[in-house]
Amino acid sequence: MKTNQKKAWLFLAPTIIFVTLFSIYPILRAFGMSFQSGSLIDLTWTGFNNYKYIFSDPDFWLALKNTLLYAVISVPVGLAISIMLAWIIFDKVKHQSLFETTFFMPYVTSTIAIGIVFRYIFNGDYGMLNFLLRNLHMPAPDWIDDPAMSLTTIIIFGIWSSLAFNIVILMGALRNIDPNYYTIADMYGASGKDKFWRITMPQLVPTIAFLLTMNIIGAFKIYTSVYALFNGQAGVGNSGTTAVFYIYNKFQTVGTPGVAMAATVVLFLIILFATFLQRKMMKKIGEN
Amino acid sequence: MDNNKFVEVKNLRKVYDNGHEAIKNVSFAVKKGDLVCLLGPSGCGKTTILNILAGLLNPTSGEILFDGKSVVDVEPKDRHIGYVFQNYALYPHMTVLQNVMFPLVVGKNKKPKADAERIAQKYMELTQITELADQKPENLSGGQQQRVAIARALVQEPKILLMDEPLSNLDARLRLKIREEIRALVKSVGITTLFVTHDQEEALSIGDKIILFNDGVIQQDDLGQNFYLEPNNYFVANFVGNPVIDNFKVTKIENKLKANDFTIDIADLDQSRFKRTLADGDYLLSVRPENIFPALDGLLQATVDDVELIGRERVLKFTNDETQARSLVNLEMPIKHGDQVKLKMRLDRVFLFTPDGERVY
Amino acid sequence: MKRFRIGTIFSYLILFIFAFITVFPFIYMILGGLMNFQETTSIPPTLIPHHFEWGNYAKVFAKAPFARYFFNTVLTASITTVVSLFNSLLGAFAMVNLRFKGKGIIQIVMLSLLMVPGEAIIFTNYNTIAHMGLLNTYVGLVLPFLTSIFYMYYLQSYFGSISETIYKAAMIDGASDWDYIWKILVPMSKSGLFTVGLLSFISGWNSFLWPLLVTNEDTMRLLNNGLTAFASDAGSETQLQLAAATLTVVPILILYFIFRKQIIKGVVRNDLKG
Repeated sequence: MKTNQKKAWLFLAPTIIFVTLFSIYPILRAFGMSFQSGSLIDLTWTGFNNYKYIFSDPDFWLALKNTLLYAVISVPVGLAISIMLAWIIFDKVKHQSLFETTFFMPYVTSTIAIGIVFRYIFNGDYGMLNFLLRNLHMPAPDWIDDPAMSLTTIIIFGIWSSLAFNIVILMGALRNIDPNYYTIADMYGASGKDKFWRITMPQLVPTIAFLLTMNIIGAFKIYTSVYALFNGQAGVGNSGTTAVFYIYNKFQTVGTPGVAMAATVVLFLIILFATFLQRKMMKKIGEN
Repeated sequence: MDNNKFVEVKNLRKVYDNGHEAIKNVSFAVKKGDLVCLLGPSGCGKTTILNILAGLLNPTSGEILFDGKSVVDVEPKDRHIGYVFQNYALYPHMTVLQNVMFPLVVGKNKKPKADAERIAQKYMELTQITELADQKPENLSGGQQQRVAIARALVQEPKILLMDEPLSNLDARLRLKIREEIRALVKSVGITTLFVTHDQEEALSIGDKIILFNDGVIQQDDLGQNFYLEPNNYFVANFVGNPVIDNFKVTKIENKLKANDFTIDIADLDQSRFKRTLADGDYLLSVRPENIFPALDGLLQATVDDVELIGRERVLKFTNDETQARSLVNLEMPIKHGDQVKLKMRLDRVFLFTPDGERVY
Repeated sequence: MKRFRIGTIFSYLILFIFAFITVFPFIYMILGGLMNFQETTSIPPTLIPHHFEWGNYAKVFAKAPFARYFFNTVLTASITTVVSLFNSLLGAFAMVNLRFKGKGIIQIVMLSLLMVPGEAIIFTNYNTIAHMGLLNTYVGLVLPFLTSIFYMYYLQSYFGSISETIYKAAMIDGASDWDYIWKILVPMSKSGLFTVGLLSFISGWNSFLWPLLVTNEDTMRLLNNGLTAFASDAGSETQLQLAAATLTVVPILILYFIFRKQIIKGVVRNDLKG
């Protein structure tokens, strides 16, 4: 078993080569480029100028604000709805896999294609949603073309998309809870409410922590769904711009890769910080 | 070539990466054709030794010789060994026949399929699994899986067979049956076998010889009955024997061994059994439960706390000097819970150990 | 007893409303793709088209090279799936079954890289691909995705659940590592590999940002990029947009319905361990 050394590296070689070239190198390169200015073919050292630039750029702040708001609203709401639905399916429904299959559909389908459908459903004039709202005598805003509504529309779409993954993972966790806990609780006459808060929720804490992390990371990276909803734009007058939109724009359209990379580094650090913060929080909850 | 040292292990040591020293300077030899049991409590290092012999683990230092040749740097597949794993490690996606044939159709020594099948058939007959040939392992009982594992281990006609707790996943009745079969089988094939177990009864019944390990050290390397009659040390005396041996704390003062409520005159002991002259001090006096029995001229007085029936015999449990002790008596003996008895020991069968476990009598 | 029943009915109501909200866009997409233009923009909205306009699909294929998009997408998704599966398989095998110095470090590096969002490196990768002169090529489309730390990690947990004595037994039986991988590991992990393959193919099918960056020629576009381009070009022709969206979604939905159990099981399995 001594010859393992060479063999092991041989088996790992393809992975290591690709990972170095397309994961490790680009991280370092992104970091380096964030201190450089000029176009891709002609980069020169510029120190912290790119960072100074983005922090004084109102567009960047708007992008950050939108991204943060999106994360802070869509993630908890989406997760709460998911927990409710998963619990109902788990607790009440016989044909669980039917509902699971249904709710999981958005996960496998193209965001772009569904975004186009949503754009259509959300249409201010002939959209299905406003037709429904008008019939219920509720305000029917212009979801797509009113800049004030852009973020709301994005959030609704985001929540809709996030249920799929959350519900399926939560169902998995619910099935993993030892059924004897519930049997014993029944013997002591616990109510449905008691069982949910005293048995189910504590058992779900690790799963919820995991989903929070995944959802928040996902939320900070939001791009494709905005692109699809607003047909390649970030909403009317850039009202729905997000961090990745900003990066893409600075990189590809404006042609200032250094600025784009500075924004990337900032986004990356925010994600790291959010993950870290939330792990700590969850640990505390887990201890109590 | 020395047939008495067909397998020879010299000064073997194994320290794991985490610093745990699993094997401390172990040496032993196995005679050709013998079935030797490596016995010991879990974590004593016996499976580690088997893995090192198989080449699945590297020793930290030491030498291993098979048939006089060092195999330390030899790959497992070139060591001419068969291995039966505790969980059998049958390939779940292959039929029984494919499992047994597998060693013959992979690697350097590949055989033509027809030959492989013929050899496989031969060993499947030997282990009586011919009619299971097309079954998948998941459909077999534990005993059947066990036979498949043995057939697969033997099919390359190895020189040495290594078995790692092969019976521990079987129920008690089957275990008795299969262990007899295993012994008959390896004897008929004539293969040198090392058999790891934690079950002393299994080791005593199946092994030509037993090597008892504890803490990575050989405690005794001997014939089965000697573990019982002449244990090397306190650990061996307590590990082997069922019900377990009784131990009393005694102190030697002048020519007497004094316990809390009995005294033995050293002159009453069999002088030829002393390993050395005793200094004054603390000792442990151990006696097997069948060698301590109720008698009118008994040495110590005790109250029977409990009576347990084990087949032909009964175990009387009593407490002496805060230690539980047992006496094995005939089923018919009219003693019941709560009775006061006087107990006598066969002094030519007791053992004396120093506090650190060395046997002195 | 009565309160219990009201609660149950209420739960079911919520469940059905959300199930409806989830499914409705798909139904509406398929139906909308079969309407005529007037029906798609009528007030009140039409739900069921008066007459199924199958001709919409002919128009979609006529207006944009969707056949080419399909071909490109199937090709790149298949290549990335097969190659990354192969690489992950070998890597995961080494990590699980072989002992070597530096294994711990590799594991830590891989796990930390899992945390790095793809969006943070995609632009510099664009740079690399551009430097290699691979823009608008199939190689450029697939190259950064030929290995996947995520799938390797997934397979590692899958292989790790196979008893290590199986590998030991194979070694004693005289199998080489290559024998072990193809004759034992792969057949024993069929369902895991298949799930990874499916997930990889689906994500390849739905990829958007990377092909958007590295292709600008119409003939090299993938489905989703073709779809957005078409949506802007076809502008007001909503029924054609919906037909095109249906074309993009339905093949994956079919795949999903056939293998739903494996896909859901696969997703649950890898993510609880992550």
